[in-house]
Amino acid sequence: MAVHDWVSTYIKQFKGKMSLAVLFGFLGIASGAMLLFVSGYLISKSSLRPENIMLVYVPIVSVRAFSIGQAVFPYLEKLVGHDVVLSILAKYRKRLYDALEKDAISLRGKYETGDLFQVLSEDIERLQDFYLKTLFPSIIGLLIYTIIIIVIGVFDIVFMVYFVLLLGIIVFLIPFISYMKMKQTYSEERVERNNYYRHVTDAIFGQLDWLISGRYNELEKNMMQHHETLLQYEQKTNRWHHVRDAVLRFIGGISIVVMLIWTNKIVGEEVISATVLAAFVLMTFSIIDALLPLSDAMEEVPIYKETMDRLQTFVHVEKTNEDTSSVITPLDGPLGIELRNVMYQYDGEKENTIHDISVQVLPGEKVALLGKSGAGKSTLLKMLAGLLKPTKGEILVGNEMIDASFLSKHIAVLNQKPHIFHTTVANNIRIGCENVTDEEIEMVLEKVHLMDYIRTLPKGIHTNVDELGKRFSGGQRQRIAFARVLVQETPIILLDEPTVGLDPKTERDLIQTFVEAASDKTMVLVTHHLIGAKWMDQVVFLEDGQIKLAGHHDQLLKENDYYRALYALEEQM
Amino acid sequence: MKNKRQKGLPMYPGALSTYSLLTCFIFIEVGLIIAQSIYLARAITLLFQKMPIEDVFIDIGFFFIAFILRYILTHVEGIIAQKHSDQVSTYLREQLLYQYFHQPSTDVQKIGTGHLVQLLMEGIAHVKTYVEIIGIRMIKTVIVPVFIVLYVFFVDRSSAYILIFTVPIIIMFMILLGLAAEKMADKQYVTYTRLANHFVDSLKGLETLAFLGKSKVHGRRIEKVSNDYRKTTMKTLRIAFLSSFALDFFTSLSIAFVAVGLGLRLIDGTILLLPALTILLLAPEYFSPIKQIGKDFHATLDGQVAMAEINDWLASERNLTASTKQVEERVKTVALNNIGVTIEERPILEGINVRVDRGFVAILGESGAGKTTLLQLLAGRIDPTEGDFRVNNSMWDTLHDASWFDQIAYIPQHPYIFPVSLADNIRFYEPAASDEHVLEIVQQIGLQSLVDSFPNGIHEKIGEGGRTISGGQEQRVALARALLSNKQIILLDEPTAHLDIETEYEIKQLILEHFYDKFVFITTHRLHWVKNSTQIIWVDEGKVGACGEHDALLQQNEAYHLFFDEQRGDGSA
Repeated sequence: MAVHDWVSTYIKQFKGKMSLAVLFGFLGIASGAMLLFVSGYLISKSSLRPENIMLVYVPIVSVRAFSIGQAVFPYLEKLVGHDVVLSILAKYRKRLYDALEKDAISLRGKYETGDLFQVLSEDIERLQDFYLKTLFPSIIGLLIYTIIIIVIGVFDIVFMVYFVLLLGIIVFLIPFISYMKMKQTYSEERVERNNYYRHVTDAIFGQLDWLISGRYNELEKNMMQHHETLLQYEQKTNRWHHVRDAVLRFIGGISIVVMLIWTNKIVGEEVISATVLAAFVLMTFSIIDALLPLSDAMEEVPIYKETMDRLQTFVHVEKTNEDTSSVITPLDGPLGIELRNVMYQYDGEKENTIHDISVQVLPGEKVALLGKSGAGKSTLLKMLAGLLKPTKGEILVGNEMIDASFLSKHIAVLNQKPHIFHTTVANNIRIGCENVTDEEIEMVLEKVHLMDYIRTLPKGIHTNVDELGKRFSGGQRQRIAFARVLVQETPIILLDEPTVGLDPKTERDLIQTFVEAASDKTMVLVTHHLIGAKWMDQVVFLEDGQIKLAGHHDQLLKENDYYRALYALEEQM
Repeated sequence: MKNKRQKGLPMYPGALSTYSLLTCFIFIEVGLIIAQSIYLARAITLLFQKMPIEDVFIDIGFFFIAFILRYILTHVEGIIAQKHSDQVSTYLREQLLYQYFHQPSTDVQKIGTGHLVQLLMEGIAHVKTYVEIIGIRMIKTVIVPVFIVLYVFFVDRSSAYILIFTVPIIIMFMILLGLAAEKMADKQYVTYTRLANHFVDSLKGLETLAFLGKSKVHGRRIEKVSNDYRKTTMKTLRIAFLSSFALDFFTSLSIAFVAVGLGLRLIDGTILLLPALTILLLAPEYFSPIKQIGKDFHATLDGQVAMAEINDWLASERNLTASTKQVEERVKTVALNNIGVTIEERPILEGINVRVDRGFVAILGESGAGKTTLLQLLAGRIDPTEGDFRVNNSMWDTLHDASWFDQIAYIPQHPYIFPVSLADNIRFYEPAASDEHVLEIVQQIGLQSLVDSFPNGIHEKIGEGGRTISGGQEQRVALARALLSNKQIILLDEPTAHLDIETEYEIKQLILEHFYDKFVFITTHRLHWVKNSTQIIWVDEGKVGACGEHDALLQQNEAYHLFFDEQRGDGSA
């Protein structure tokens, strides 16, 4: 299925340009073959010392023409080929993006590895080789094979059958064996490579642990073993290549000899003139050279197949939640949030992630939400953003049922570890709202206390964030991300752990900025510390999907021992 | 933008004998190439002159033998080169690993552990491929054309001249076009990389876009940017492919000229068919090594870059004298004597003179002040550029020493979890520890409920490819490791700042409860640790700002007082 999804559709879509690329490729090889053919003919003919030089005029001209063709056509093939393949890659990217977009908010939970996106992007890049190095050369090879067979068939049907079989070994048999062989060894080798990779990672990241445990020798022995095994697998592949290439060359040599004997035979029968004897033999050299890479081309197929399968797993997404077209409810002024007996259960999970939560947040109130990892904070936040619907109960925003369309209109979210795009500061903020002016951007940067810094940069808000380099601290990143949220000018702002990894001073400053800049807004701050708790109207602790502790900071401090103990950590003494 | 490359023949151990052996074989190969051409030309010529094929069989036979032997030889060369590259790969792995474990240097901070993994995996693989192909290629490029043209020279001077003069023309054009392409590529590099990274950037920012309610809008940009990328790439490729075009063009034109020249001289009768045909067969062989150069461009580039990097890394080798020191049973004091650390000519720590007694030592300071570097020194992970240590009363130049490692446990913010069972992770420093002992520690460190939730209990695999555990649980595993192995010196690098406050509270209780009798060093921003510390080391801009008991410092040291108040956020909060 993957092959159909990722290849056939696109071949159909781009068949014109692809055919052109194949045609150029074919003409390139044909020119090479004809160059040698005509050269051979030319000197054979010349050696008969014709009276009139005009007799060899045509070959002289065509030799030069073919020599130019041999260079020009491959150049054109490469250009057309790359052009069409890059077009396909553009489609692939769009397709993958659209598929992932549907699942965007749950991706982080589903796939742990942070390198996933890099891998997928490289996967798509890799598929260009499928076209350029496997598909096109295979088609060209088949064309050459067919034509050479037809040419022979014109002279001698019986010999044609022999030659079909002989070249068939090069064109079909050995590439097929190559494919089967690699399919097996490739996966074996990959397992071994991953194994080795795991050991390398263990060694490098666990360095100090190995040293402290005094187990270096054990590690070295392990590494050596796995490296040796890996090398053995590579050697196995190499050995196969040597054997395969030797067989290919052997068949090639036989083809040349057979061609010589056959040409001599039909010359003897006076079917053709003796002058093409050399021509046919010379041409066979270049034909064989053109067919040999077919085996290499087939070998890569298992890798492409795996790549396509991997991409396919992300694209098969069944649900299409296109229901966001609903009319946006007009809601005005400051909005509050009310949770009524909210419950949430993920598909396939036995237990509720959120059990029966009821909270009322008045317009303009600030709420801090805390809890250990796994308590259900992220799930609750996604529901508050309208991105997840409660399994039971309801969430009201300004007396309206919450809906995904509220996002960026009534509710803005600063997600966990927000991504800062590799573009200018201004463009990063514009992602929140496309049509803000430079002045508005400067104003919002002023609000998040970043403008003083930005002003010192030569290009101001048009500085690319990449140019900021190491001077661009974690706190500043959060400020840009927060500015991006602020430009959406929503009455409700949700912040998901915006201060993890920052030192307490930066953390305090940042939370202060949040509270000040959003003074007239309703704010829910998911946080891991109690810095700023005193500025909040409510502090809510979640445990196992339920509210464990809630109230105003002062009240909790007075009445609750546990809260007091926790706050002691924050008070610093 | 550009990586450093190391050009020239790589000279690793065993290179000389490999290259000499290869040279011998390549000499024989040239002989076979010439023989193969002569015998084939003879066969064709004789057949052309209507000699019965039975009489020509001997020539055909010799051709076939030479042809086959030649390719057998290329395989032998390949196997020799591969043997050598295997050795190089093993050698580099050993060296790199040894260096990383036994030369405590600051280099790793320069390049990062993640990059080091990459260097060990891909870097070495690139060098291996490069070493495997470059020797044969370079030797062939020198020997094969020279000997073929020498032979042609004796047969037919004018053909030899054509062949010889083509080479400088090719080189000249390649250089010119190469420069043009480079200039063009440089000019477009900025747009190019921006567009190239756009996709990965979009995927990484997908979650953020979704939370901003902008992910659908952004999707429309993907294909457009991708197609812009294609257009820019095509512009560059048009120039870039010209160099291979020039190579093809001049070589095939040269062959055409040789053929035409031979034809004309055949008509004149100044040359005979046999030598003419021989030359025509040899002409493509003459160019084939030169044509190979362009083929493995990427392999060459990657190999050269990786080689430069690895050699750089290995070059920083220093000699360490293995110490025979023993750490006393109970470490009562640790002193740093005029210690300095310089990384890339930048002083990170300067003139550190402190002496601390066994107890709970908090290392404070602002971000970038040098806290972590100080802790890494104590962990023996880096060596001081100057100064020495005193442990009780004995002097140590370095703490990178097995007997010191035997005494310490190092717990960073994110402890490395090995992809093995929970039990094996906990007894990593003491692999011989019994399951009972592990269970006892599990109980003490509060991991019992986690163990209960695992079907396989303590034998459940955790880490990469196993169960993922939370940040708090990671800390507990690391604490359990230290506790089980009964280490007397515990080094903690900001162990709780990233955890939620409730987990932080629990972990703190564990540390205080179990490590009260140990010699603990802790770097932290969280000032609540100060209350539990017996001594403070305040690091300020790479120097010791103050050292002593907290209360005393607060009274006596104004600068410390100032620092402390600022960190607490007094007044503002």
